[in-house]
Amino acid sequence: MAAGFKTAEPLEYHRSFLKENCRPDGRELSESRTTTLNIGSISTADGSALVKMGNTTIICGIKAELANPTVEAPGKGYIVPNVDLPPLCSSRFRPGPPGEQAQAASQFIADVIESSEVIKTEDLCIDRGKLCWVLYCDMMCLDYDGNILDACIIALLAALKNTQLPEVTINKETCAPEVNPEKRCGLHIHKHPVGASFCVFDDSILIVDPTAEEESLSTAQLTVVTDEEGRLCSLHKPGGTSLSGEKLQECISRATARQREIQKLIDKVIHSVKTAQ
Amino acid sequence: MSPMKLCVPGDKLCSVEDCIPGTGVYMRHGYIYSSLAGYVLRKNEGEELPVISVVRETETQLLPDVGAIVTCKVTSINPRFAKVHILYVGSTPLKDRFRGTIRKEDVRATEKDKVETYKSFRPGDIVLAKVISLGDVQSNYLLTTAENELGVVVAHSEAGAQMVPISWCEMQCPRTHSKEFRKVARVQPEYLQA
Amino acid sequence: MPVDTKRVRGPEVSQSPSLFLGRPVAVLPSSGPRADGRQRDQVDVRPVFVRCGLVSQAKGSAYIEAGNTKLMCCVYGPRETERKDETDMKCGRLTTDMRFAPFSCPERGSWIQGSQDKDFSLMLHESLQPAVCLHKYPRSQIEVNVMVLENSGSVLAHAITCASLALADAGIEMYDLVLGCSIRQDGASYVVDPSYMEENYSSSASSENQGGLTVAFLPSLNQISGLQSDGEMTEEILTAGVRTCIEGCYKLYPVIQQALAKAVRKAAPPPSES
Repeated sequence: MAAGFKTAEPLEYHRSFLKENCRPDGRELSESRTTTLNIGSISTADGSALVKMGNTTIICGIKAELANPTVEAPGKGYIVPNVDLPPLCSSRFRPGPPGEQAQAASQFIADVIESSEVIKTEDLCIDRGKLCWVLYCDMMCLDYDGNILDACIIALLAALKNTQLPEVTINKETCAPEVNPEKRCGLHIHKHPVGASFCVFDDSILIVDPTAEEESLSTAQLTVVTDEEGRLCSLHKPGGTSLSGEKLQECISRATARQREIQKLIDKVIHSVKTAQ
Repeated sequence: MSPMKLCVPGDKLCSVEDCIPGTGVYMRHGYIYSSLAGYVLRKNEGEELPVISVVRETETQLLPDVGAIVTCKVTSINPRFAKVHILYVGSTPLKDRFRGTIRKEDVRATEKDKVETYKSFRPGDIVLAKVISLGDVQSNYLLTTAENELGVVVAHSEAGAQMVPISWCEMQCPRTHSKEFRKVARVQPEYLQA
Repeated sequence: MPVDTKRVRGPEVSQSPSLFLGRPVAVLPSSGPRADGRQRDQVDVRPVFVRCGLVSQAKGSAYIEAGNTKLMCCVYGPRETERKDETDMKCGRLTTDMRFAPFSCPERGSWIQGSQDKDFSLMLHESLQPAVCLHKYPRSQIEVNVMVLENSGSVLAHAITCASLALADAGIEMYDLVLGCSIRQDGASYVVDPSYMEENYSSSASSENQGGLTVAFLPSLNQISGLQSDGEMTEEILTAGVRTCIEGCYKLYPVIQQALAKAVRKAAPPPSES
């Protein structure tokens, strides 16, 4: 009968757990799911990372290409982040062009990159006004169980840290670029933004790292992105019920704690990859 | 007891002379083959030959079939029929929702011409029903509630409280004590606990 | 030209750095041992790693890794059909979708599904359909989605194997598993389970008998459900190639069976015999 209750009255089912300060999957309200990270698994990409947060799985692959900088910003390169939610990851997505959620997620990631300055686009310039790098960062969801924004940011950050760009020199005589794939160097990561997402139930109960079901039943969602210095990079609250200032403050302090946790994880994985080589 | 044999689709299990094919298997050229990945189960049911089936952890009956009792949620109503989402087949939850229709004439067994759909169901009600047909090209699964045990099992009043059945055609809100009409299923104790 | 407003766009044109390499790409020799140490002219398939049931949201899923080729498949359904016509009333519909992640190939792929993806989807559909007991699923559709995460050759063959594994994991009734294997014919010699480089950059002196072949095979029923060949090959070479592919499939079979058995065991202990 418990299973029947869950399908028939999902909201009541969740409330009955929240009343006891726990969640249907056994977590506490402020507990994140286990996060695992795998770096550099895709050899065809210049940088890649696979993140699993509970069931939610995101893979990020970065491909670098050469292009001309724009006239308005001759000294800058491009970062092109896109989030893809293919029909493979959940039955809620249909094949075809990106849906509303994927578009919103892509734009959110683009905003985070810009506001956090994780990478300075100036660093991607090779020859001012003539040649620069384009980093195509494609984040693909392989298993959709909520909180993709947090997972996307972690995947992106880890993949950027894993990215190795080949050396490019400009031939003085022909003015054509020459690529040396043997000699590669990493990107300079200025900041380490990490997100923390929350769901609001019944206007007052705050839960961390929501699953897909919790997301669909909640009254509001909120994502806070902070960097290693505890500075707020982005705060995303698309509608929903209002939130008190105290609660918001609580979210921000939780987000900074989460940032430290994730940065530690990324450093650890990168270190283990290096020693394994 | 020996560990149970596992099989994958296409595995030859035995000859048709040794067993009677059950579920999860198919016959070809006088042999029984598995059509599922699962455990091989032989059952003696008093007949001469045992029945051989392949079973998995989850119920393999995934689709509503004619005669099956289904649990569904009412999504919309109009004077001619109610539209529902089928949530369960028997006690097996469906991973994907299938749509069904309860026509006005299938709501109850007696006085069919006096049935008014909005006095029988409301959107959001949880209803037990039976599949009478898989429907045709235009229509969905056709369901009926024309039995005492079938009908509304969970309903909320306009005030939002869960109502208590008081007769076969009425339910009462515990908060406001107002009565609302429903085609109520005969009360089954396990549904009251939730 | 219509502008894609649904994605974050980059510059209008960008080029892969591989176009500006100082030296040309080496063409693989058509004799001698293969780059990854495997044997030429022998049924030397790459060892595969397979896993079932990784995706929580899907009814069934499978992941396959052969060398650097990595792909995964999810199966959804049976669910209500979207399009309805008369034929659906008696038996179900199988839909297939195969896509390449933009970062899966040495050259960055487009976001929009190309004609190659559609060809592969269709081929996948043809290879799987004969094996699925669609008459058991009236009025409903079964969706097979394949995502190529890294393309290191023979993707279609591995996609077929992966998809049949995911279908079995989903508990969809099938007459048999479907296994895929491909070869690349290069003059008189051939390579089994070719890598991306072998598929695209090999050329020999002779221009005869150049081509690729992919076979989808039902191992228990001993039937071929799909065959795709491109290039130009003589009849004898082609039939010999088909035979080689079937042999390759049989090499794969025990691995796939074990992976499925493991998934079944993991999902539940054996039911009591009562």
